[in-house]
Amino acid sequence: MPANPATCDRFLSQDFVRHAARRRARRERLRAGLVLAGTAVVLTGLLAIPLYLIGALLPWPHLPAEIGARLGVLLAGSARAAACAIAVALPLGLATAMFSAHYAAPRLRAWLKPGLEILDAVPTVVLGLIAAATLAPWLKLHVATVLALLAIVPLALLAAGMAFGARVRREGWLPLWLLPLLLALVVAATAIAARSEAPAIVPTMPWNAALVGLALGVAALPTVFSVAEDALFLVPRAQSQAAFALGATRWQALTTVLLPAAGSGLVAAALLGLSRCLGETMIVLMASGNTPIGGFDPLAGLRSLSAELALGLPEAAPDGAAWHGLLLAALLLLALTMALSLIADAVRERLRRRLRSGGSAT
Amino acid sequence: MRRSSGDAGAWLIAGLAAVSLALLLGLLGLLLKAGLAPFWPAQVDEIRLRDGSVVLGEIVVADAVALALRTSELERIGGAYRRVPRDEIAAQSQPPDADLIVLDDGRRLYARGDADALVAQAGGAVSSHVQPNALGFFARVAAAMRGLAHFLGSAPVASNLEGGVLPALIGTVTLVLLMSLVAMPLGVATAIYLHQRRGFGLRLVRGAINQLAGMPAIVYGVLGLGLFVHGIGAGIDRWFYADRLPVPTFGSGGLLWAALTLALLTLPVVVVSVEEGLARIPAGLREGSLALGATRDETLWKLLLPAARPALLTGLVLAVARAAGSVAPLMLVGVVKLAPALPLDGTFPYLHPSQQFMHLGFAVYDAALASPDAIRGVPRAYACAGLLVGVVIVLNLSAILLRNRLRDRYRALES
Repeated sequence: MPANPATCDRFLSQDFVRHAARRRARRERLRAGLVLAGTAVVLTGLLAIPLYLIGALLPWPHLPAEIGARLGVLLAGSARAAACAIAVALPLGLATAMFSAHYAAPRLRAWLKPGLEILDAVPTVVLGLIAAATLAPWLKLHVATVLALLAIVPLALLAAGMAFGARVRREGWLPLWLLPLLLALVVAATAIAARSEAPAIVPTMPWNAALVGLALGVAALPTVFSVAEDALFLVPRAQSQAAFALGATRWQALTTVLLPAAGSGLVAAALLGLSRCLGETMIVLMASGNTPIGGFDPLAGLRSLSAELALGLPEAAPDGAAWHGLLLAALLLLALTMALSLIADAVRERLRRRLRSGGSAT
Repeated sequence: MRRSSGDAGAWLIAGLAAVSLALLLGLLGLLLKAGLAPFWPAQVDEIRLRDGSVVLGEIVVADAVALALRTSELERIGGAYRRVPRDEIAAQSQPPDADLIVLDDGRRLYARGDADALVAQAGGAVSSHVQPNALGFFARVAAAMRGLAHFLGSAPVASNLEGGVLPALIGTVTLVLLMSLVAMPLGVATAIYLHQRRGFGLRLVRGAINQLAGMPAIVYGVLGLGLFVHGIGAGIDRWFYADRLPVPTFGSGGLLWAALTLALLTLPVVVVSVEEGLARIPAGLREGSLALGATRDETLWKLLLPAARPALLTGLVLAVARAAGSVAPLMLVGVVKLAPALPLDGTFPYLHPSQQFMHLGFAVYDAALASPDAIRGVPRAYACAGLLVGVVIVLNLSAILLRNRLRDRYRALES
């Protein structure tokens, strides 16, 4: 019988197998340990932020006088900027999401989604630059123009829809056809405004909440869009197809089936957009003027919580009163944004579970 | 077929979608135009006033009532702007023999004929000397390319008003590389953990990561400053660099702390991207491997991870893009307007993690708002912004392409 070197020597082969098994077990343990350790590091690092803030503030240190009033003004500033921004981002984001999920031709949708992803990737410092250097001088002259456009554009679109809507059977590429109309409206409005002697409405300050809102709205638009689009897309296609089979138009299917089914997802989109607006720093820092002003005037300047942190912390001595006041501001900001995104997550989770279980869309 | 008037609502939605589209296109167009404009060679104008005097310079602002010109900066940079009311102008021309001389310290001189005398009067070495009005189109394009190359490849002069952005570029790249070295292994480990676990551990870790992904960037900066710089950094200084105190070594903002802060900021991006890649691998592949007798561990490391390599790359690219664009946390942990030395250079140990650094995104903020010469600052800020957005868009596009390729590959595996 020929000798097989691997099997003939029982001791050698057992040894070999045992060694290999032990080596493998050791390697598996090592890898599992590394994975666990990495996860632990990540969790510690991420949880360190709330823990650090709470830990630094727990002994209840000496805070600057009138910290409550200061935080109140900053919070009001953040809220005013976020309100202006969400007024821009919400209609645009939701409408774009509805169009993309329900109307858009597949090829347009294939461009629209990455396009808005790119918009999301534009660094906010760049949006801040555009707001501060280009948009601010323009807005100083054109507040009335913007207001007029806000009223005219929806009316013009509705009128165009009434006039031509019945003739256009497919809306898949409609936005591209509407672009020239919008452009013409904007050019006409600007030209009319340029002929008047002085602007009809002059903002109180060149850097104001409305300006911040425009830039911040563009920053929050992709967030609102992608969350809302995901929610609308999660609604089973069978539901809207059933509506079509019953004779509904696309618009009827959207308003009677899709929107009620995905409604909580749209609320989540608004909440996440709001959370994004509250936490954003660079745009507010560059375009708000950073004067702490309370009140509700959208044409006055403001100073937000995040801008206060960016401006104040590098100068504050660690463990001084001002430092602790700023940490309190950071904790407030963190609590606000986390509360918003927690609510949004809960809402989305409920929506997902309901749609997956195939429950009725009411 | 007659349809209900409710369909006008569809037009409203399509119109608002068109506004979003217009915002995106307008933004990119504006950045492209304003980002490249500073490199286009300017015209030199000669303006003869009604009182007989002559002004030679570059028109920098023009409105309905007046022109603002930059004339020869004989003393200091940004010190020779002149406002000329339009009704005082008798004649305006662009003489082809007008000289534009840029000095080494960034000052610009405008001359006709007696260029050498003007340079001698200003005092300083000549960096470039052209007659911009005489250039043809292609010569202008060539000059713009040269300007762009100079912008990318040289150091700033005159406190960031002129010259290039090379140190900021190197600072950004070094920072992002250091960040990836920290974020990638940790992020991949967490993604693997999430992939292997079911039940409570999974929900806890994923919930935490989802929550933390939505945290404002500036709060990460607060942690970086409070914990890394003032906590750990000051501790390192007390133990290892006590001889240098009170001058801080690691106890002030620097490259290392900024990289760690950004790593925390980008970890959720990496985790989500890699986990998604692992989850999308067809179940048949995994089951086949297990059926052939491979252990779970072997399946993961020899099959699933290599198959998910594009997802890893996507995570890396998205993290780098996010890190390159975030400025707010850096303002707290060590980015400066002008760093005395590069964080990466030829002297041992080559990488200096405790050093302060310059950053492209911060250069945008600084040039736009904190520049001593706003007329130079804003175009410069746009040039930096154009560069930054260009890099970020290229990174994001490649991530999108990678994701599509991954999807195609899995589809091929499934069929």
